[in-house]
Amino acid sequence: MRPGFLLGEIGNGLRRNVSMVVSVVLVTMVSLFFLGIGLLAQQQVSTAKGFWYDKVEVSIFLCTPGATEVASCSEGGVTEEQREQVRADLEGLSPLVTEVFYESNEEAYERFREQFRNSPVIDSIPQEAIPESFRVNLSDPSRYEVIRAAFENAPGVESVEDQREVVDKLFTFLGVLSVGALALAVAMVVCAVLLISTTIRLTAWTRRRETAIKRMVGASAFSIHLPFILETVVATLLGAALAVGLLWATVRYGVTGFLSELLAGESGLISLVGERDLWLITPFLVGGALLLAVVTAWLALHRHVRV
Amino acid sequence: MITLENVSLRYAKGDPWALRDVDLDVTRGEFCFVVGQSGSGKSSLLRLVIVEQAPTSGRVLVAGHDLGELPQRRVHLLRRQIGTVFQDFRLLSGKTVAQNVAYVLQVLGARRHEIRQRVPETLALVGLQDKGRRLPHELSGGEQQRVAIARAMVNKPPILLADEPTGNLDPDTSSEIVAILDRINRAGTTVLMATHDTSIVDQFRKRVVQLHEGRVVRDQAEGGYRQVVAP
Repeated sequence: MRPGFLLGEIGNGLRRNVSMVVSVVLVTMVSLFFLGIGLLAQQQVSTAKGFWYDKVEVSIFLCTPGATEVASCSEGGVTEEQREQVRADLEGLSPLVTEVFYESNEEAYERFREQFRNSPVIDSIPQEAIPESFRVNLSDPSRYEVIRAAFENAPGVESVEDQREVVDKLFTFLGVLSVGALALAVAMVVCAVLLISTTIRLTAWTRRRETAIKRMVGASAFSIHLPFILETVVATLLGAALAVGLLWATVRYGVTGFLSELLAGESGLISLVGERDLWLITPFLVGGALLLAVVTAWLALHRHVRV
Repeated sequence: MITLENVSLRYAKGDPWALRDVDLDVTRGEFCFVVGQSGSGKSSLLRLVIVEQAPTSGRVLVAGHDLGELPQRRVHLLRRQIGTVFQDFRLLSGKTVAQNVAYVLQVLGARRHEIRQRVPETLALVGLQDKGRRLPHELSGGEQQRVAIARAMVNKPPILLADEPTGNLDPDTSSEIVAILDRINRAGTTVLMATHDTSIVDQFRKRVVQLHEGRVVRDQAEGGYRQVVAP
């Protein structure tokens, strides 16, 4: 079969079957869009995890004068001696402890006033209620328990907090989003497979006369199947292109444009997925769609088109 | 060219035999009518030759190939050696006469200049050189069957099978169609034609193979539709 004739066959097939072709395009688009969202959400989790885990530290809050109900603070505010002991102990824990920052009560109160500058509670909290603390960076953040065991209940220490617990909630949310999107994507992919095979069955029926003639005059199975497969590939690629376009718009205007501006006020503490991440997953989306189209079409043809 | 050795066929276990112990040898360049009532096995015999159906037992040889040993992926190459014409013409209604004929060559990957040369040649062979631009529904039944013959012959196959090609036509037109097949046969193509058209068989006096309930009951050179029993 010569390329010109093959193109003509494909063009004719697409024209004669336009409503089915449009439905294959749309279903492919929606399934790949959800697949893309799922993959980008996963990408977001790992990007953000790397970013946060570098920044997040374990905080060792020292006793404030009013915290006497905590056993290790029964003597009131932390003493100079206790503070130095904690610092010495922390330094003794290297290499697990990579950095230790000390935040004094004045600095902590300043930060508190800055964070809650618009809140009416600000004036009801006295400066001495804000604890001074050591901020500790770990070489391996997952070994947080070592720090907790060493300093919880140590004299002068009110509490030990792993800030990862806070951001982990965000990651859990993103994880659920990603799993949800992927589950929807799987359901839509099943729809796409069923739709493609139904489309092929209908196309095979409307073209049964041409197919019968091709068989009769000695066309090979491959050359009989090829126009069907290529029509499916064209429709699927069109759907994939639209899905990538939609994902690009979502990333460009939804994430980069809207979310990052929204979060910029939160001291830019989160790194978001961008167009680069989309271009990284695009070959997988398009390649997956292509593979799906070819395999589904091939199987459907073997069932519905006798050669 | 076409040989059947002790061929039997039934479509399902328990069904009556469509063909039973058939021996037939059609040599190159021969014209052979296969006659018999409806259900006698004429079409089944043709189906075996174009590899639409495998025999239940026995051996079928076509153009030097033993069909029992021909792998599925090579069947299409054998079909290129066989032109086929049916009672219902089977033309593509949206294509013109010339496009219907050209379609075969396009499907088989012929070059454009080859198509431009062979389509008019073949239409002239069946006397339709002036009707290339017509659509099938603008033609009479006889003319449509001529288009079907042109389509079957455009690839110059050495064998032409015709399954009741005059079944939908009046006697005069039928006679014209078989005259075309005769002309094609004289040019060297082996023709095997299934028919129950008495007058055609009687008129052309070719070899006649008569089937009855799947068996060959007569194989006669220059025969008529019915066996003439000497008084």
